[in-house]
Amino acid sequence: MAIGDEMFEAMARSSMSPIIYEVLDYSVGLTTKDGELIAQGNGTTVFLGMIDALVKEIIAKFGTADAIQDGDVFISNDPYFGTHLSDVAIAKPIFFEEQLVGFAVNKAHWVDVGGMVPGSFTPSSTEIYQEGLQIPTMKVMEGGRLLQSVLDLIAANIRLPRDSLGDFWAGVAANNVGAERLMKLYEKYGLDAMDAAMAGLLDYGEATIAAELKKLPKGVFEAEDWMDDDGHSDDPLRVCVKVEITEDRFTVDFTGSAPQALGPINHGRTALVAAVRTIFKALTNPQISSNGGCFRALEVICPERTIFTAERPAPVSTYWETMLYAEDLIWKAMSEHLPDRLTAGHLLSVCAFILSGSHPETGEDVILVTPLVGGWGAMANRDGLNGQFSVADGETYNIPVEIQEARYGVRIKQYAFHNEDGGEGKYRGGKGVYLDYEMLCDSASLGGSFGRFKFPPWGAAGGNTGSPNYVELIRKDTSSNVRELYGKPAQVKIQKGDIIRCVTATGGGWGNPHERAQADLENDIKNGFVTPEQAARYYHQEVAAE
Amino acid sequence: MRVATDVGGTFTDLVCVEETGIRIAKSDTTPPNFEQGVLKVVDKADIELPAIEDFVHGTTVVINALLSRRGAKTGLITTRGFRDVLEIARGNRPDLFNLAFDKPAPFVPRYLRQEITERLDYLGRVIEAPKLEELALIIDGFKADGVEAVAIALLHSYVNPDHELAVERRVRELWPDVSIISSHAICGEWREYERTSTVVLSAYVHPIAKGYLASLDDQMGARGLSSKPLIMRSNGGVATVDGARNDPISMVESGPASGMLGAAALGRQIGEPNLIALDIGGTTAKTALIEDAAVKITTNYKIEWDRANPGYPIRTPVVDLVEIGNGGGSIAWVDDGGRLHVGPQSAGALPGPAAYGRGGTNITTTDANLMLGRINPALFLGGLQKPNWDNVNAAFAALEKELGESKDDIARGIIRIANANMINALKLVSLNKGYDPRDFALIAFGGGGAMHAVALAEELMTPKVIIPVNSSVFSAWGMLMCDLRRDFLKTDVKLFSPETAGAVETAFKDLEDHARTVSLKEGMPEDKLRMERFADMRYAGQEHTVKVALPCKAFDAQTIGQFADEFHRAHKREYTFELDAPIELVNVHIVVFADIDKKPLPERTVTGRTVDETHKGARIIDFDEAGIHEAHEYDLGGLEPGMLITGPAVIEDATTTLVISPGKRAEMDAYGNIHFEMVG
Repeated sequence: MAIGDEMFEAMARSSMSPIIYEVLDYSVGLTTKDGELIAQGNGTTVFLGMIDALVKEIIAKFGTADAIQDGDVFISNDPYFGTHLSDVAIAKPIFFEEQLVGFAVNKAHWVDVGGMVPGSFTPSSTEIYQEGLQIPTMKVMEGGRLLQSVLDLIAANIRLPRDSLGDFWAGVAANNVGAERLMKLYEKYGLDAMDAAMAGLLDYGEATIAAELKKLPKGVFEAEDWMDDDGHSDDPLRVCVKVEITEDRFTVDFTGSAPQALGPINHGRTALVAAVRTIFKALTNPQISSNGGCFRALEVICPERTIFTAERPAPVSTYWETMLYAEDLIWKAMSEHLPDRLTAGHLLSVCAFILSGSHPETGEDVILVTPLVGGWGAMANRDGLNGQFSVADGETYNIPVEIQEARYGVRIKQYAFHNEDGGEGKYRGGKGVYLDYEMLCDSASLGGSFGRFKFPPWGAAGGNTGSPNYVELIRKDTSSNVRELYGKPAQVKIQKGDIIRCVTATGGGWGNPHERAQADLENDIKNGFVTPEQAARYYHQEVAAE
Repeated sequence: MRVATDVGGTFTDLVCVEETGIRIAKSDTTPPNFEQGVLKVVDKADIELPAIEDFVHGTTVVINALLSRRGAKTGLITTRGFRDVLEIARGNRPDLFNLAFDKPAPFVPRYLRQEITERLDYLGRVIEAPKLEELALIIDGFKADGVEAVAIALLHSYVNPDHELAVERRVRELWPDVSIISSHAICGEWREYERTSTVVLSAYVHPIAKGYLASLDDQMGARGLSSKPLIMRSNGGVATVDGARNDPISMVESGPASGMLGAAALGRQIGEPNLIALDIGGTTAKTALIEDAAVKITTNYKIEWDRANPGYPIRTPVVDLVEIGNGGGSIAWVDDGGRLHVGPQSAGALPGPAAYGRGGTNITTTDANLMLGRINPALFLGGLQKPNWDNVNAAFAALEKELGESKDDIARGIIRIANANMINALKLVSLNKGYDPRDFALIAFGGGGAMHAVALAEELMTPKVIIPVNSSVFSAWGMLMCDLRRDFLKTDVKLFSPETAGAVETAFKDLEDHARTVSLKEGMPEDKLRMERFADMRYAGQEHTVKVALPCKAFDAQTIGQFADEFHRAHKREYTFELDAPIELVNVHIVVFADIDKKPLPERTVTGRTVDETHKGARIIDFDEAGIHEAHEYDLGGLEPGMLITGPAVIEDATTTLVISPGKRAEMDAYGNIHFEMVG
């Protein structure tokens, strides 16, 4: 009994080695030799499901011909087994006494993988070939020997090879640490005990989640929503879900959602499964270390070739918009039924953008890629969180203003909460931010994807809808009174002195605004989170300004 | 005579080193007037204050004020447009799948975060001079709101402090008696959130720390202490009272730091420069790696940080250690899936383990050790109290029912899990950083260190275990082995190459000049001053840095290549790879020392007593995989240098229990430390 528990502790932690940090997103994990997830350390939620999918792909491609050897390292960015081309996975098979016992895998975002725009994602692509270098699942090291020609080919096809090859070696290192710690366990306990322990671990994951599943409300729950557009036409796209919860099954069905789109808002089925796993974990047991057993009760239904189940050569570079809708639909369907676990709607979009230009001091080309923080939804007993990354991210850190200014040569004018209307409720939605960049180089180009531009975060239990995500360009030389607003800026030209204002959503409110406690509202006004005018308009309360 | 007092969470410890030997005493900690406990323990040890040459003091007053939220009401002044940086923080959510995640509240609410018009660029050039006339209104508001301390954090002040200094001067004119700290004075690193958080928490504890240090200084002086107290810092050094007052946050982790420093000093004396140090207390265990008799320092420190919480960063130099919620009081519990866990919840001192009989209903690691015979019931709680077995049996019954296992099996399981947790921490500081534990000795101290050390060393495969003399008050002794130390870090990003050697040398020289000026002003003796150089470096294009010790020789185009090799080696060890890429200097790090005349451990008296004379009896001990054996009991106090004891055995006194598994040999060295050779 005790040995199993001890190994459980050791295994659950052996993958927690965030060697790569302050990158956009990363994840590290261990699987069994069959590709069952044993443990995963995450920087983001979006990769939950990617680690095991990749290993299964490696086994399918190389396993039968006995082509997996000690000292091999595999590399892949196949987005239909993952997210988008920017996320590069590196996998190392682990051998004990000349037998394959498992895999150490990590996946991390590279700042550029080539393609039609710097930073490799844009709302304007229409096929995968425009989005960068495709690396099918292949070896980059064989029997401990580096295949230099593979690395050379990669380096020749990406814009910042020095940075990305550093990330590659960091990924190899992270795997080495995970593999070494797994090896130590094999040395201590031996093959049979470890095999039994791994099977036990998966069963434990299943049992824990099964117990939680019994506590969930039973029945059929439905939600629908609208996505802004696909970046090529202005038409909104309908998405929907039907969630069915029984004593021992959790089934989600996305039938009826929009078909595969022209623009890069699509993603593959692996990403859909990862999205559902994330929200399923949030509903059942957020704290348990994830393993394959945790998801045995889960079933995901969706027809082929929808925006959730796109196929090659559909473009996928801004996949997160759609993937997060898959999570958010289930969230929306369940929030009022599980008020202690779920908030009202949050900013949803990663709000990632790419600013490419040159550094005004050094003249070097620079690519600034970053996600943005925004408002989370209110809960049944408290206001929403101010300035947090979307559910897609987790251990993701914003880039400090001082580092952005030094490295990219921009000037940031403000990084502050805003007071746009929206999110009012008995409990308020959390605040989004204004992040203003002044361009100091002669010309630059802006791309990005800010979903929920037209359809802001939803309120719950009578709370108001939040405010939208968007980008506003404030031109230095303009005579026009029309505001220049974007949800999906694509290669927008920026001149020196222009200001790019990135705006993120206020989260949805919870409960009727008229029920907000007077003391809370006074506090809001004192802190500048609500103006006296908004207090009168939305809360029907007269509160004197200080 | 040299005396150290260490204010801990439960006890205030005293260690006194004289020509004739070492005296120790313990007394209760007395929050919030911690100095009362200090005076009490001095009395208890019967110490004449005028006879003291050095009085070194470590205190939890700073961490206590932070964790209990009993600091000063603090106002913050920032660059216009950036008052929300403190609340936005880094936006991260470590508890990834918890959608009801709660973000830590800022220490300064929004209405007390005020902005001033001013701007520097990233090179420190003035874009807009500060509009100091805006301060009058801000200060009036702070006064009306009852603010007690002011923090100033302006963008890019790490490059150019002029604007912060100008604002600080004006605030002092407007409000001469308020506590005020500027960010550049305590943190020279980039990243505005981390620097702002550091200055806010510094200001928050400043009035309390100032008052405490003044009171300690006064009361000790009034009782005849002729020297000024020396204050323990988190960086493993001590500070003058003035130095500690100017940078109060530097005391935040002083307790754990002194134990690690003590281990390094002991290692130097007994010829064991490479150590993995482990301090097991009541609530947590802490571990650090010591290489060449030196601890490692980091500024990547956070309070209230764990796997689910982002915590609050404090960029102050702290001994690089890993702390886990695993101590003698850690509670054993069963989760929904039927798995046994230990910690991080602790029963603390009250109600304490079930065996205390003070209302504790949970089984703790201490109870499991008692059940297996490893703790001597006759020496329980220093021999002052018998274990409450009824309580222990009742608490075990609950676990027996949940797990369907016997008491002994469960107790063995608890110890294994507690050990696995500690092994994980020990690997984090060694294996995960590229060090092989086989090249190190394990040195264990604190109340629980001796009990677990041998089992941990077996798994970690360290060839040797050392239990230092007076291991239960080892942290206090460590303070007496510290020198005056002040760290200066400054972000100054530049290429580290032959072409830039001149600029790199200038960066170091400038910081050294500044460090010397500040250190002398704070009362460090000029004739004893010495400096060491470190650099945080990285490959251009990467984020993560590696700290490298550099010799204090001028950099030039010839020598810089050797220093670059140091970086490649350090990077390869920590991250397993090196790159053929340009190297960047990120932080210049200067350490100023002033050596204190320390007394080494005195040799233990040899009377010619035999091992048999220290033999007290025997009891049955469960050694888990090594079986259940009758173990001989030896009195630790009576042991003498050169004595050799072979397991199964236990060496113990009222505060320390050394469990020796069958076949293992323990030997006392000339100073009273116990060494285990793990081979065979």
